[in-house]
Amino acid sequence: MRIFMLSWEYPPRIIGGLARHVEGLSSALTELGHELHVITLDFPGAPLEEQTENLWIHRVAVNVPAPTFHTWVLLFNHFFEKRVGQLAKEFGRPDVVHFHDWLTVPSGVAVKHLLRAPSVMTFHSTEASRSSDSRSPESTMVEGLEWWGSYEAGKVIGVSEWMKAEVASRFKTPEGKVVSIPNGVDVSKFKKKVDVQATRTKWRVQDGEKLITAVGRLTSQKGFDDLLKAYPQIRRSFPACRLLVMGDGYMRAELEALAEAEKVRSATTFAGFVSDNDLVAAIKSSDVVAVPSRFEPFGIIALEAMAAGVPVVVSRVGGLAEIVENDVDGLEVEPNSPASLADATVKILSDQGLAKELVTKATEKVKSYNWESAARKTLAVYGDAISESRYE
Amino acid sequence: METQSVNQGMSELSKRLLSTLLVLGANSPEKALTIEEVATKLGMHRSTIEPELRALVEAGYARQDEIRGSFRVCLTGTGIITASSTYS
Repeated sequence: MRIFMLSWEYPPRIIGGLARHVEGLSSALTELGHELHVITLDFPGAPLEEQTENLWIHRVAVNVPAPTFHTWVLLFNHFFEKRVGQLAKEFGRPDVVHFHDWLTVPSGVAVKHLLRAPSVMTFHSTEASRSSDSRSPESTMVEGLEWWGSYEAGKVIGVSEWMKAEVASRFKTPEGKVVSIPNGVDVSKFKKKVDVQATRTKWRVQDGEKLITAVGRLTSQKGFDDLLKAYPQIRRSFPACRLLVMGDGYMRAELEALAEAEKVRSATTFAGFVSDNDLVAAIKSSDVVAVPSRFEPFGIIALEAMAAGVPVVVSRVGGLAEIVENDVDGLEVEPNSPASLADATVKILSDQGLAKELVTKATEKVKSYNWESAARKTLAVYGDAISESRYE
Repeated sequence: METQSVNQGMSELSKRLLSTLLVLGANSPEKALTIEEVATKLGMHRSTIEPELRALVEAGYARQDEIRGSFRVCLTGTGIITASSTYS
């Protein structure tokens, strides 16, 4: 099967979980013998064209300036359409076009109609949940595109049961059109040996200190402010500990200021964006990984920590609540509750037996979240989209 | 207009500058823009945006190079990801 996959992010352009999803899924689909073309945006240092066996990455440069972010999104979709047109001429018409989130809805819909291609859309998030139901003109446009994508796509995928239910209820998607396929995790990446001592030294973790790690974009959604508010309480039980925050975003300076205000700045490291190797090494060197999100359609970082054999504390929201079973393979806390976050973190740090037990169960659970399984389920969805396509 | 430095908290102007560089396609030294060009696009005076741009360069979100005889700015990888981070 020839698949055209449209995504605004693909490594090394990693903005959120979407890049990891497209990378893991594309790789698994090609391993199952399919021809995969990822059409994505360019990034400094990354080649415009890349090919590994059946996997082609086509990075598109947008050569026309736009006045705003939202018009820029519409513009880059036109550049995607042009590239898809060239690819169809070079490789042939795709058997299916798969587009991700609102950002590639215009080009996904165009490709469906212009190339008469069966189509599939995956929702990784929705504007309403991301923007807390903002009614700004921009949000209204984004939500309109999300509805349009869900309407035009032959089949719709949500990355969790929560996401599936959100799409079905918000966009009134017909029964059976939307399915849930959870993300996978590349367990092998987290099984590789890392130099724990060197990693802890790199992030200024002193001997005997506990390491609490949090990973993600520094946006309100991720709840890192709650973690910083919880941190003084954690330090009352464990004065010798370090908080490592990996990621960047508009809230970085605000979070640094909050760390100052909470008097924990010197015990916190803001690492910014880091390489994949650094990320894996840091997670594997941690005593606990905290995922304090206020909203999380999936929460791949929890799964990655579980694959790395590190206990997790997560907010009981969205996809995180589906991944983690409280007190079995991780601890769940109420969102927006620094006190509850502190309690759970202290519980793990102070009870090695509990931490070990959670990790044992988590390691077992994480085996069911693999990209091959996600790819096989996605292929079944492609099959349905193809057989139900009105263009065939 | 708020002109707080990024070290004290990213101002609305800093966010606007990052977003403007992104949508104008200034994501590599070859596509870098002069400070005048950025100021014109924003309808602001060069002196208003220059300190903010300098702070963004210092914080690693943007880079400034002397190209074709003038100082030009473009986003770094971190800047591109940060400018996009609201929508993923």
